[in-house]
Amino acid sequence: MSSVTLRELTKQYAGNAGLSLDSVSLDVAHGEFICLVGPSGCGKTTALRMIAGLESVTSGEIEIGDRVVNDLAPRDRDIALVFQSYALYPHMTVFGNMSFGLKIRKVPKDEIKAAVTDAARILDLEQYLDRKPAQLSGGQRQRVALGRAIVRNPAAFLMDEPLSNLDAKLRVQTRAEIARLHHRLGATMIYVTHDQVEAMTMADRIAVINLGKLEQVGSPRELYLRPANQFVAGFIGSPSMNFVPMHVESIDGGIRVVSAGGDMDVNLDDVESAMIHRAGVSDVVLGVRPEHLDHRPRSGRGLQLSASVDVIEFLGNDEHVHLSSGSHELVAIVDARTPLTIGDTLTLSASSEAIHLFHPETGVALK
Amino acid sequence: MSQVPSVRERRTVGLLKRLRLSRAVVNVILGLVAVFWLVPTISLLVISLRPESLFGESGWWTVFTAPSQLTWGNYTTIFSQGFAAGGVLDSLTTSLEITIPVTILVALISSLAAYSLVFGSWRGRDWIFLVIVGLMVVPLQVALIPVVQLYREMGNLFGLNPYGTIPGVIIFHVAFGLPFGIFLMRNFLTGIPKDLLEAGRIEGAGEWKIFYSIVLPLALPAIASLAIFQFIWVWNDLLVALVFLGGNVHTPLTIFLYDQTRSLAANYWIVSTGAVVSIFVPLIVFFSFQRYFVRGVLAGAVK
Amino acid sequence: MTSITTEEPNVTSPKASRGRGWWRRNWVSLAFLAPGIIWLLAIVVYPTIATIRFSFFDESATKFVGLHNYASVFSTDEILTAFKNNIIWVLVFPFFVTFIGLMVAVLTERIRWATAFKAIIVMPIVFSTTASALVWRTIFDLDPHIGVVNAIEQTVSDWFSAPGAYPLNSSTGETVASLATFNAKGGPGGTLVSSSAVQPGGTVMMGLTRISSVTLQTLGAKTPVAPHEMAAGIAGLVWNDFSTSQPSNTTSIVSDEHGLPNLRLSLVSSKGSSVASTVTDASGDFSFSHVAPGSYHVQILASNFQIAFVGTFWLGSPSLTPVSSLNQTAQSLLSVPLIDLAMIISYIWIWAGFAMVLIGAGLAALNREVLEAAEIDGANEWQTLRRVTIPMLAPVLTVVFVTMVINVLKVFDIILNMAPGSSQGPATTLALTIYNDGFTGGIHSGLASAVAVILFLLVVPAMLWNLKKIKG
Ligand SMILES: Nc1ncnc2c1ncn2[C@@H]1O[C@H](COP(=O)(O)OP(=O)(O)OP(=O)(O)O)[C@@H](O)[C@H]1O
Ligand SMILES: [Mg+2]
Repeated sequence: MSSVTLRELTKQYAGNAGLSLDSVSLDVAHGEFICLVGPSGCGKTTALRMIAGLESVTSGEIEIGDRVVNDLAPRDRDIALVFQSYALYPHMTVFGNMSFGLKIRKVPKDEIKAAVTDAARILDLEQYLDRKPAQLSGGQRQRVALGRAIVRNPAAFLMDEPLSNLDAKLRVQTRAEIARLHHRLGATMIYVTHDQVEAMTMADRIAVINLGKLEQVGSPRELYLRPANQFVAGFIGSPSMNFVPMHVESIDGGIRVVSAGGDMDVNLDDVESAMIHRAGVSDVVLGVRPEHLDHRPRSGRGLQLSASVDVIEFLGNDEHVHLSSGSHELVAIVDARTPLTIGDTLTLSASSEAIHLFHPETGVALK
Repeated sequence: MSQVPSVRERRTVGLLKRLRLSRAVVNVILGLVAVFWLVPTISLLVISLRPESLFGESGWWTVFTAPSQLTWGNYTTIFSQGFAAGGVLDSLTTSLEITIPVTILVALISSLAAYSLVFGSWRGRDWIFLVIVGLMVVPLQVALIPVVQLYREMGNLFGLNPYGTIPGVIIFHVAFGLPFGIFLMRNFLTGIPKDLLEAGRIEGAGEWKIFYSIVLPLALPAIASLAIFQFIWVWNDLLVALVFLGGNVHTPLTIFLYDQTRSLAANYWIVSTGAVVSIFVPLIVFFSFQRYFVRGVLAGAVK
Repeated sequence: MTSITTEEPNVTSPKASRGRGWWRRNWVSLAFLAPGIIWLLAIVVYPTIATIRFSFFDESATKFVGLHNYASVFSTDEILTAFKNNIIWVLVFPFFVTFIGLMVAVLTERIRWATAFKAIIVMPIVFSTTASALVWRTIFDLDPHIGVVNAIEQTVSDWFSAPGAYPLNSSTGETVASLATFNAKGGPGGTLVSSSAVQPGGTVMMGLTRISSVTLQTLGAKTPVAPHEMAAGIAGLVWNDFSTSQPSNTTSIVSDEHGLPNLRLSLVSSKGSSVASTVTDASGDFSFSHVAPGSYHVQILASNFQIAFVGTFWLGSPSLTPVSSLNQTAQSLLSVPLIDLAMIISYIWIWAGFAMVLIGAGLAALNREVLEAAEIDGANEWQTLRRVTIPMLAPVLTVVFVTMVINVLKVFDIILNMAPGSSQGPATTLALTIYNDGFTGGIHSGLASAVAVILFLLVVPAMLWNLKKIKG
């Protein structure tokens, strides 16, 4: 069993006042591919380095398999770490880099050769085995770093933004390669990235971290459809979800949510009304994803707004349209065939399912 | 709830213990190394502070059990000569008379030359720089004999023979300080953007003004490194002084010490006192400008 | 001055530019460079060429002698010794300095007092080699009341064998046998044994000779008293059988002779085994009581004559290598004088800080993640150091190593100051021979110049290599 469990894992660096990781608890099942995402400086690398044993634990527990590994040196944890900078041994050949861990463990020569050849074949590195890292391209170095991890056949793979130094095209390609690798090896993988697209496409589950705290864990679908709070809602999805502060009004015994200038209003269904009622708030933050704004009026329940077009970004099939409605700015994705010019006034709507409501102070999702 | 913190504490303590153990070993090893490195310096100090009568009678280390041995006697003895030639104070002054001009001249001439090589616009600058760097390979031993003869020729031609005089020593030291000085200064000045100088030129400043009011202040850290390196280098020189000051009644501290060991081979207590005086100045320089010194050492790996 | 405003030359033909305009634009810049260039030409470039020329002329620089000076270099014993010593320095010193610098630089990263530690190690670089040499000269002094090293050696040697009451004088080649007389002859293992056998009830007289009066005085030796026979026991006397008043009397006790106190004795049976032991009293008398019947000899133990500790003459030229079976020239060429070792240790003390600073800077510039990768790959600290850190530091390590090679090719001050006059010859180096041949007793140019040129040629490749490494 090579599950990884974090229990209230906390890290305070010497000399730092705040916590870089604040009581994070997470269960990673055997064979699962989990992504840690979050903005820069949120503590992703810190978490990964603690699991690897490169940083001491301030408090909390790390379990790999059935062992608590807080006191174990990295070499005794049976994990492999792929660094953001690759961290290849510059003085060794590709073969030397990939075989180093096995040599240290005194694995017989022929076994080492077999393991390295195997990994090189999987990663398409066979013709580079005699080269030094300096003679390789970025993508090749990346694959060597992966190969170094694979040959060790560890209980868990840890990867820290392994694709961030690659160009866009290579990134997409390597992304698929890693996903394939995961299927093939069936190994537990913890993958750090700040790129939510990467996380969405590869992960079984995503853990969103912000300011050292775990915001939400769930499948990409869950995170996209039911974000637990405003931060997760804004972080997952591209372009980002639109947020508009709204005021709650009572009408005819029911509730209506209206924006400050009255350019937007939402007709709530009963469930939503009940929730707002229960939260006892007079203001809410409305969230709606750009891809869920439709360019047509709506009669039933849901959001309705009018806005004028500021900027149009043509993307081929779609257009990203930047709009302003009263004092609020919004983005909508519309079909590129829609005839639009700057200054046009549009009427947009969204169905009731596509609407998210958040607590104005805590940001917690109300529905 | 009360159980969780106890688990945490246990883990944290365990890790700390493991770290501390290996740290302890390293601390002990380096502690011993540090003691080994300090023993010579301490012995020098202690010998200089013990009376002559105890020398050879009991080891200097007995001072740790009998601190009453300590006395300023040796210092009174060697300072009692005052500034008379051949005394330690005269040598101290002579060392300063040599070292300070050399340091200033090397810093100034190197900066000027480096400025010219970096910001000049004539061709062949890089080529000249390479030749100057190449001169760093010349061991000064190679130049000693011809320079002595050159000095004599100067005496014959102009009636001014620098051989046996302090300027003679200074001239030689400056020459052998220049290749490294120009090397270090040029490497530093290439990092200064040319635009800064252009701004000065547009305002109508001449080269000299640009040099001392724009470039020199910016290059101060490099000049400090060079000056400290050069100061310590010249202060500690024995060979050049031996060759070029032969016969001069005023000698720098290194020659003072050398003469003492030669003529009074057993007077270690006086020699040690003189040695303490001689390391005093570089020690002050070192501790006040440690950072610059280390930078100079790093840059001077080639010397 | 204000005329120099257009610095970027819009030159189309460089030759055409060397006109008035060119001078007008560049004279200030050239004037800045001039002092340095003139200085270097006069005191570095010209003299180097002159030295090369001198090396082909005779001592007074008047007669061309071709390669004669170079031939002399390889037939002059002093210079051959200098070569030998330079080779010893080059083989030993750079390696140890680099090694110690590396170890210390790696270890300092783990302590809290790294700044203080580094200052302690670096400090000796700012001392003059002259002062350092003096310090180390006292440290290696032969007298254990002056030199720490010999004081430590003495303490250790005393643990294992304390000197006896009658230490032999090793400087005059004194042996136990030289103390023997007709009734006390040399025995096995540096002992003295009574000449004739004795039975219980008998007495033993053992005369020794050549015991120094100083020893007798220190021990408070008294006039010897003839021993009394004792029943079932053996009594006896050990005395210094030499009378100043009757020098020829070598059989009986004379009043101005001395009994030998504090001697450790043992009674040896006819089978050779020791059956009893005792110590002589102030007048040299001793007795063994209750001795079983049989025939015995009395033995004066070897420990009585144990030589007092004589320090190691670190500053001398006894050879470190056993070469006595070879001929004279080979011996002198293969011997490594002890002082070389003492000076190399001192020089390491001076330069290890330099190596530490340079290697420390190299370490700081390493990609930490690569070292962490090794840790994760399962390497322990030693394996990481040997297989990852050191290979990655290789460029810095070679720069340090080569710099130290250049340094010891020119080694001079430490020998002049640390080697006592008697060891200067055996410890000499090339730089020292240049000074000695060229400047002591007038200025001679021929041979010294040839050595200087050779030194130059030895330094140049190392230096060029180093410059290339540092720049590229
Ligand atoms: N060695 C350290 N000492 C002190 N503080 C540190 C150290 N390493 C990281 N931190 C701090 O801890 C916080 C988390 O850093 P971490 O490197 O884990 O961020 P990250 O999520 O990996 O960011 P990025 O996406 O930019 O890599 C940051 O505020 C950072 O400043
Ligand atoms: Mg990171």
